[in-house]
Amino acid sequence: MMRLLTLLVAALLALPAAAEAQKPIKVGMPIPLSGPAALFGDPASKGAQMYVDELNAKGGVLGRKIELIIRDSKADANEAVRVARELILKENVDFLVGTLTSAEGPAVSVVAKENKIVFIAPIPKTDQLTAADKLHPYVFRVAATTTIEGRSTAEIVAKWPVTKIATIAFDYAYGQDVTKAFVDYIKKIKPSVEIVDQEWPKLGEQDYNPFINAMMAKKPEAIVSSIWGGFFVTFSKQAKALGVFEAVKFNFIGLGEAGSPETTKSMGADYPVGIWGNSYDAFYWDESSPVHREYTARISKYLKDEYPSSWAIQGYIGMQFLAEAIKKANSADSEKVSKALLGLTVDTPAGKLTIREKDHQANRGQLYGKTVKEAKYPFAIMKPVTYIDPTKFMD
Amino acid sequence: MSKRIPWFWLVFVAALFVPTLGPRYYTFLANDVLIWALFATSLNLLVGYTGLVSFGHAAYFGIGAYTTGILMKKTGLSFLLAFPLGGLLAAAFALVFGFFCVRLTRIYFAMLTLAFAQIVWAVCLKWNEVTGGEQGMPEIPYPDFGWIDRLAAFVPVLGGYRTAEQFYFLTLVLVAACLLILRRIVGSPFGRMLATIRENPERAEFIGVNVRRYELAAFVLSGGFAGLAGALFGIFNRGVFPDFAYWTKSSEVLIMTLLGGMGAFFGPALGAAVLIWLNQQIVSYTEYWPLVLGTILVVLLFVFPGGIAGAFALLLRRNRRGVARA
Amino acid sequence: MAAHPSPHLFVPDLSFIFAQSLSGLTAAMFLFLIASGLSLIFGVLRVLNFAHGTFYMLGAYSAYQIVQWLGTGPVSFWVSALGAALAVALLGGLVERFLFQRLYGKEELYQLLFTYALVLILGDAAKLIWGTQQKSLSRPPGLSGAVSLLGATIPYYNLFIILLGPAIALGFWFALQRTRAGRLIRAAALDRETLGALGVNVNALYTGVFVLASFLGGLGGALITPMRAIVPGMDTDVIVEAFVVVVIGGLGSFWGTFLGALIYGQVLSFGILFFPRFSIFSIFALMAAVLIIRPWGLLGRPLR
Repeated sequence: MMRLLTLLVAALLALPAAAEAQKPIKVGMPIPLSGPAALFGDPASKGAQMYVDELNAKGGVLGRKIELIIRDSKADANEAVRVARELILKENVDFLVGTLTSAEGPAVSVVAKENKIVFIAPIPKTDQLTAADKLHPYVFRVAATTTIEGRSTAEIVAKWPVTKIATIAFDYAYGQDVTKAFVDYIKKIKPSVEIVDQEWPKLGEQDYNPFINAMMAKKPEAIVSSIWGGFFVTFSKQAKALGVFEAVKFNFIGLGEAGSPETTKSMGADYPVGIWGNSYDAFYWDESSPVHREYTARISKYLKDEYPSSWAIQGYIGMQFLAEAIKKANSADSEKVSKALLGLTVDTPAGKLTIREKDHQANRGQLYGKTVKEAKYPFAIMKPVTYIDPTKFMD
Repeated sequence: MSKRIPWFWLVFVAALFVPTLGPRYYTFLANDVLIWALFATSLNLLVGYTGLVSFGHAAYFGIGAYTTGILMKKTGLSFLLAFPLGGLLAAAFALVFGFFCVRLTRIYFAMLTLAFAQIVWAVCLKWNEVTGGEQGMPEIPYPDFGWIDRLAAFVPVLGGYRTAEQFYFLTLVLVAACLLILRRIVGSPFGRMLATIRENPERAEFIGVNVRRYELAAFVLSGGFAGLAGALFGIFNRGVFPDFAYWTKSSEVLIMTLLGGMGAFFGPALGAAVLIWLNQQIVSYTEYWPLVLGTILVVLLFVFPGGIAGAFALLLRRNRRGVARA
Repeated sequence: MAAHPSPHLFVPDLSFIFAQSLSGLTAAMFLFLIASGLSLIFGVLRVLNFAHGTFYMLGAYSAYQIVQWLGTGPVSFWVSALGAALAVALLGGLVERFLFQRLYGKEELYQLLFTYALVLILGDAAKLIWGTQQKSLSRPPGLSGAVSLLGATIPYYNLFIILLGPAIALGFWFALQRTRAGRLIRAAALDRETLGALGVNVNALYTGVFVLASFLGGLGGALITPMRAIVPGMDTDVIVEAFVVVVIGGLGSFWGTFLGALIYGQVLSFGILFFPRFSIFSIFALMAAVLIIRPWGLLGRPLR
């Protein structure tokens, strides 16, 4: 009788603990799901979701499943802040993984800091996110930075037979920082370069004609653009109509992932084949590792697309780092997880990435290449496509 | 003397207990409601009481937010000074803009208020060095609440609150004070004159009233209080962004004012509360909140143009009449 | 935050000025199409229709949809553009006849807010039907090339738009001056009560005006699809631009709208060059200046 009673009491006491263990780990993901940024944001969210689904199928982490709560931030810093705060206050998320634009990232980073919640940014590139004066224990980035992107680009452009270069970028943190990084570095490695023009349309511009005309009037020999996402689609349509790409003999590089499959796919025959671009991932990347090829097969199946998006990988990697850090810390407490993330190395589909302690930044580079039209695919691809290791560009 | 329930004080006291309810989210929502209530009531001074329909009220909201934000973040000025300065600068701009606006009527007035608001927005968006441009200014510091903690040593009930909750109490007190001041203004001879002007501006001119000066005064007061609301919002929102001044913000607050009822003083505040609460409820089920809002607006316009307060008043009147007949 | 290095002192050459003014003209003609409908509705119904930008957006989406159905044949674009404009015109007529008419006589504010409610409802309807990802259309075959004029590359499609604008303007002006319907519209803009007293069915006239205006707005949206993205939010962005145009030119004045659009296009175009950070500011400053100095616009008449 006593034994039965003790068993019962033990079971009852264990129940809340068991319930605790079953409670899912909630991760909030504010990311643009509408508008021109959705071209990148939507697949990123799906990449994150795939990782979560796969992990949960294996039992989750620390015996708990992960619940990913995705919300539309509309590529607007104000909205992202609001969404992030609601995720924290209303949904009680334990972690934040998300944001896309370099306006959203720093804004949400502040929210994460004040609420002491780990925030992993898989996409915003602006250096300001992890700059010394903005860094705090809870923000981490697994994306490239504007320094990495700008300098990688400078290395490529320095090899072109050009000296007169024009830049066009959105007038906000990302556009400003990546252009500056490019200009500063190329002037260092090729002093003969002259920046003949710089155009600064506002983020969200729909009519690039006046900017294009002003730029072409200075007769540049090469153009470095960081117009991204759906905006690049609009920009290049207008630029193509004005004969821009022919005028610079295709010495044009589209930063902000103009070489990504989703961009080339969505433009189809309108894509200015022959320009250079970059991308976080490419399903056609031949020299990739077995890990990558295996990932590509899985994401292709998950997205039901034989030519899967390149943005899924960033959402995937963001969640991967979070899960690995939770495992390493053996806890879902942000304090412990934030310490576990420092110096953490994860074998991601994009190679082994490490978050360095100095500025919570991972050594994430990107694929760069010149676009060509291959009969095999109904859209342009980058070939040859090279992964540029970012380590030498990171200060 | 008729038995009048002191709704204002009842709500005030009830609001004091929101943080004790538990979930931090309730404090967050209540804080939001308070600020928008002030914003909407300030607009109503212009729309409901003076009859001037402004499409650019968000300009003053934005000016107040940026001023206080910049002062507190970049110069480290204390909230005690930065807050009123936000309202003052907004009022100053309202004076300049209003001077030109009140010389116009109806649609031209509305268009000019819109133009000025878009000018403010354009400046906030592009003046990168001062306003942060597209990124805005994230991380506006909270006011220094050290004094509450020190006071808590003597008054224990004040202790143990988080910064967000302390800011909520501060907002509650400030908004309540502003609303009381506005109510005084509205009930004063000045306020009654505004109502006369709204009814019939020509008649007011005939009896010797300098209509323009009154309208300008209403414009300035309205803009000033909107600026105070903006100052609070910048801190509450943990960041100030250019779309604080964009015209769609002006339309949001106009809808709140209409929803609550332009004819009652606390109508807009009620509208703010209802709209924010409704938004929360709807957004958890569907992302098509604008569709719902638009439909509510249509229903309001066709069936309840007096807003909630108006519908309520109608109900009361019908009840009283029924009682009298019985 | 990076400060922008200033460009070298730049002496523009002729081909650049030509190219820039043409791009300003193109943008202006689109705005004219949209703003003319807005001006028409204001002139006759005395209502500022916020939903006009939404009709423009629906025109774009409808054109996209029809092209999906018809495929990419040589005439499919033109059929879609026309079809889209007609569809939007029909929608406008229905909205006016069954909803808007009930608000006549009520306060102006209510009519205004109703048009804003339409923005909210129709905007979300577009999201429901077509999703939130941006869409785009290609230029129609036949107009996909470019010509070199005065050293500048001018796409054929842009030329087409630049010529279409004045053509439509002249066509409408002619119709307003010479046809009976046109005369009635002009009369209604001046004095509706008398018109009603004279036995004209003013309500039917209003519906007709709304249908016509929506047709123009929808056509503008359909024709802009090869040049810009079809995306949620394009309605709220364009309506403010249309307001600026109509204010500068004169609310209710047809040629005023044309002039306003021209000015807007050129200020924006050359603003990018001469005062790049202030181009947005200068547009609204111009709008404010006109309202302060001459509220009824350059070619408008004071409201009675």
